[in-house]
Amino acid sequence: MKSSFNLDRRIIYAFVVIALAWPLINKYTVRPARMKSAEKLFEVVESTKPTPGQFAFVAFDFGPSTAAENAGQARVVVEHLMRRRIPVVLFTQYLLADPFLKSIPEKIISNLETEMPGQKWIYGKDWVNLGYRPGAGILIQSISKSKNLAETFLVDAYSTPLKDLPLFRRPTQLKNISLLTQFTGLVGLFDSYVQFFQTADYRPNFGHGCTSITIPEAYIYLDSGQLQGLLEGIAGAAWYSKLLSDKYPVRKPDEAILINTGLGIAHLLLIGLIILGNISGIISRRNS
Amino acid sequence: MIAVDLSIATTITAGVATLAIFSFLIKENPFYRLFEHIFIGIAAGLGIIQGLRYFLWPQILRPMLGYDILTFPDGTVSKPYDGAVLLYLIPMIFGLLYYFIYSQRHAWLAKLVIGFSLGASAGLAFKGFFAEMLPQLASSFKPLIVLENDQIVWWSSISNCIFIFTLLAVMYYFFFSIKADSAVEKKFSSSGRWLMMVCFGSFFGSTVMARLALLVERLQFLLVDWFNTLVSVV
Repeated sequence: MKSSFNLDRRIIYAFVVIALAWPLINKYTVRPARMKSAEKLFEVVESTKPTPGQFAFVAFDFGPSTAAENAGQARVVVEHLMRRRIPVVLFTQYLLADPFLKSIPEKIISNLETEMPGQKWIYGKDWVNLGYRPGAGILIQSISKSKNLAETFLVDAYSTPLKDLPLFRRPTQLKNISLLTQFTGLVGLFDSYVQFFQTADYRPNFGHGCTSITIPEAYIYLDSGQLQGLLEGIAGAAWYSKLLSDKYPVRKPDEAILINTGLGIAHLLLIGLIILGNISGIISRRNS
Repeated sequence: MIAVDLSIATTITAGVATLAIFSFLIKENPFYRLFEHIFIGIAAGLGIIQGLRYFLWPQILRPMLGYDILTFPDGTVSKPYDGAVLLYLIPMIFGLLYYFIYSQRHAWLAKLVIGFSLGASAGLAFKGFFAEMLPQLASSFKPLIVLENDQIVWWSSISNCIFIFTLLAVMYYFFFSIKADSAVEKKFSSSGRWLMMVCFGSFFGSTVMARLALLVERLQFLLVDWFNTLVSVV
């Protein structure tokens, strides 16, 4: 049965590209939708006090294939932690995430130091890059059981012994991790933290940034209390970015809201095309 | 200067590669095929090199060979050689036994490694299952009427009722031990199927959203980084 309204798929692609690109070219943004799960994570970071010897453990388990969503989430959360002067220890179990462990914090620090002249975020004291570490569940278990993380990891991503860095000069263990945040599109890697990043008597607050595909799965963990906050795709990052801008008005806006606007317009286009396609189908059926 | 040129070359190459892959949307073409093969080759090679560069060499081989020990001009060293790192040889040799899978006579040695891996994975999965699932099971027991200061919280109560109904209906749909004969049972079972359809719909919607997010990131790269680099070169 031939539809009365036959549109070449390439024209649809062109429409989608225009819908996504138009806000990027014109820097047009709309207010992102409120995401309660992102607000929860924001509140967890806000309630985490910068205590000496305590730090946030941040896992970037994403590569270029999901960086569109996960990198935006990682940027806003790491920025928030750095603004609150909570030391950040970055780490990945995913090989292709390695470049992001350097580029994202360096870009954030550059922006923060421009915004607040005179303030510095020093490597080794305010942030540490542990680099890529394979091992999945076994590695996460070894972190949980470690009596001294400097002896578990030995060196950072640049082969500097951890015990030479101010953050790890004193023995640190799981109890020194006040907050765990992990960004990934890989459910298996996320599971390894849910399962093993805890001891019988301590479990740090856990925030997670997932891709849009894995939202339905990740939401289960938020409902059960295994997650204290969740960033749902780029929409979660956009709302988190808005919360950050509300709290720090001098902050330079990031790209999460811009990308989210493009996505919103493209979604409207897709909904319009689905309705149009259905109307076309009904008309064709009646005519035949 | 070389670093700057390299960054420009990287950005331009990335843009061309992106356009080559996107050209498939118009139709299958040799330009797309070329870059697809390059991508597969790089992906295969990169994993090995990154594993060697970022893990095997700095964390295993370097300390084992003592290359992480600095010798100062006065002859003293930054730290003594730790003989315990040689213990890494045991799992390394044990892991290498896996290659006996290619030998008909000694294939049983590979089975030792496979058996060990299976046992360790099963143990981890068993422990992980309880750590992951028990909190979820416990959180499934929700009150149907939520009270706060002796007042019913309607929204939470309705939400919990929907949750419990969905949970039971979906579980009943997969309950094959008893045949659903009565009309009520059939309707309950079919509502479980419909509720799963709603779930699949949300999965599909979020998949579309994720794919568009990937596209918008590439468009941003092409329109901002790539375009500006091209303009600066021209």
